Amino acid sequence: MSGTADLSTSWTFDEWFVVALARTIQDREVVFHGFGSPCAQVAMHVARRTHAPNMLLIEGAMYAVNPDPPFIPPTSNDASLKRGAAYSMRFEEFFDAACRGDVDRMFLSGGQIDRYGNTNVTAVGPLEKPKVKLGGGGGGCNISATIGSLTLWTTRHRSGRTLVESCDFITDIGHVTPAGDREVLGYTGGGPQWLVSELGIFDYDESGIMRLRQLWPDVTVDDVLAATGFGLVVADDVGSVDPPTSEELRAVREVDPLGVRRSEFDPAELDRSFSVSA
Amino acid sequence: MFVDSDKRMSLADAAALVHDGDVVALGGGLSARLPMALVRELVRQGRRDLHVVGSAHSIDVDMLIGAGAVSVCEESYVGFEQDLGLAPAYRRAAEEGTIRVKESCCVTILTQLRAASMGVPFLPVRGIKGTDVPRLHSEYAEMTCPFTGDVLVVVPPLRPDVALLHAPMGDARGNLVMEQPYVLDEHFAQASRSVIATVDRLVDTDDVAGFGVTIPGHFVRAIVEVPFGAHPASSYPGYAYDRRHMDTYVKAARTPEGMGGYLQEWVLSGDESEYRVRVGEESLDRLTSWTESDDAWKELFA
Repeated sequence: MSGTADLSTSWTFDEWFVVALARTIQDREVVFHGFGSPCAQVAMHVARRTHAPNMLLIEGAMYAVNPDPPFIPPTSNDASLKRGAAYSMRFEEFFDAACRGDVDRMFLSGGQIDRYGNTNVTAVGPLEKPKVKLGGGGGGCNISATIGSLTLWTTRHRSGRTLVESCDFITDIGHVTPAGDREVLGYTGGGPQWLVSELGIFDYDESGIMRLRQLWPDVTVDDVLAATGFGLVVADDVGSVDPPTSEELRAVREVDPLGVRRSEFDPAELDRSFSVSA
Repeated sequence: MFVDSDKRMSLADAAALVHDGDVVALGGGLSARLPMALVRELVRQGRRDLHVVGSAHSIDVDMLIGAGAVSVCEESYVGFEQDLGLAPAYRRAAEEGTIRVKESCCVTILTQLRAASMGVPFLPVRGIKGTDVPRLHSEYAEMTCPFTGDVLVVVPPLRPDVALLHAPMGDARGNLVMEQPYVLDEHFAQASRSVIATVDRLVDTDDVAGFGVTIPGHFVRAIVEVPFGAHPASSYPGYAYDRRHMDTYVKAARTPEGMGGYLQEWVLSGDESEYRVRVGEESLDRLTSWTESDDAWKELFA
């Protein structure tokens, strides 16, 4: 990298995580993130400033199209998030586009995620008397069926409680549910394509099952297996996540001066820092 | 429709139009344009057994639940995002079973409001099948499409008894001017039996017409001028949301005692003019300072 060695020689895990999410976006895609998702939100702006300048970025709870916010605030529907947008969709305009298949990618997370990428953001424990009532799914139980591809993410893989054998409640659709797969259900969306966690990067095999593809350099395959509540498929050629470029790091720091992305992580994860010798 | 030319009334009289047991739609969403003055007044009046409906909400729904005003919660999300986390009173009530959770989905609620607006008995949605959401909604059904043979989930109309909306500006007739996102407010206005609105500022009809009316007065039954009526939510272009106050609320609401203390201090001890005094002129001025510069705006959230 040229001229910015100070930027590219050291970085923190939260910065790298956001860069990894950004890389799941392809140029010219129509992309959306849900509310309360600062990592995904920052990642979308990073992608648009780096490798995906022609994406259509739809801002989570403002429905602003291609805004250039002066900073990312800690709430998803602050007016700062429509700065620079020539147009903001109405609520129904966005959801109609998502339901008819005009949105290419959405970011989704969950308190529980199973091997097929079904997610639970409703309640942990029995529904009648939940152990933890989570916030709820927003629009996910419909639009996860029809959006082109899903990028899942979690910053709580290590807890052992997130990647589970089966979700206590399925809020959003993965590849296969107890009621059948996407073909049986008549769903046109492609389902989960990637899952990025603080332990590694995963894709989904031809059976729709989560598969380890890349590790962060301070994580081992055994770490991942120990934290995962189901028998994990491991790719033959598990690699290491490519370090962020200076361009990517600069974009993260410019997009998110308040560091809202950090609110998603356990404090111990924020201590992970990396460097390359200059 | 509501054809009177002057629908101004007091906040107490307007809130008295909401009855125990009503299905109540709450306008705005997350941290923006929540009808907080009406929420606080419903708490003062001791309203009970409300069935609240809406999309993604925060302190409005949580406070009503914490005050014991809600029996059924049919929102797509209740919480304070990543920043301040789960909704304390909602969580406690759901886990203890003191409210009925009918968690819904933004698309489903929109579809049900459209059915009510159109006067049809049901509409289909594309998703839901394969999820556990129908376990919370015995009123949903499945139907085979007569044209394609697809099996779709169909949902009944949602016709709230009353929608509580907040706008930065409106006139005596009830014409409301809003900034985006309008969220579901326009659909609530069409689908509900009546709308009760608060505005930060009442202006002349020429002014609302000049800015462009978002929700026409013929949907609105009552309108009340309440400065900072959405606080601690935002009401742009007037004021940003009060993150510090949200934080104060979330911390207090984590225990029943703390919740009671918050309500006593901020809601039950006085009316809205006293609420503004208690929040303080300095704090309120700070929330309007977002217009000064990007740095001033950013500072509000640091």
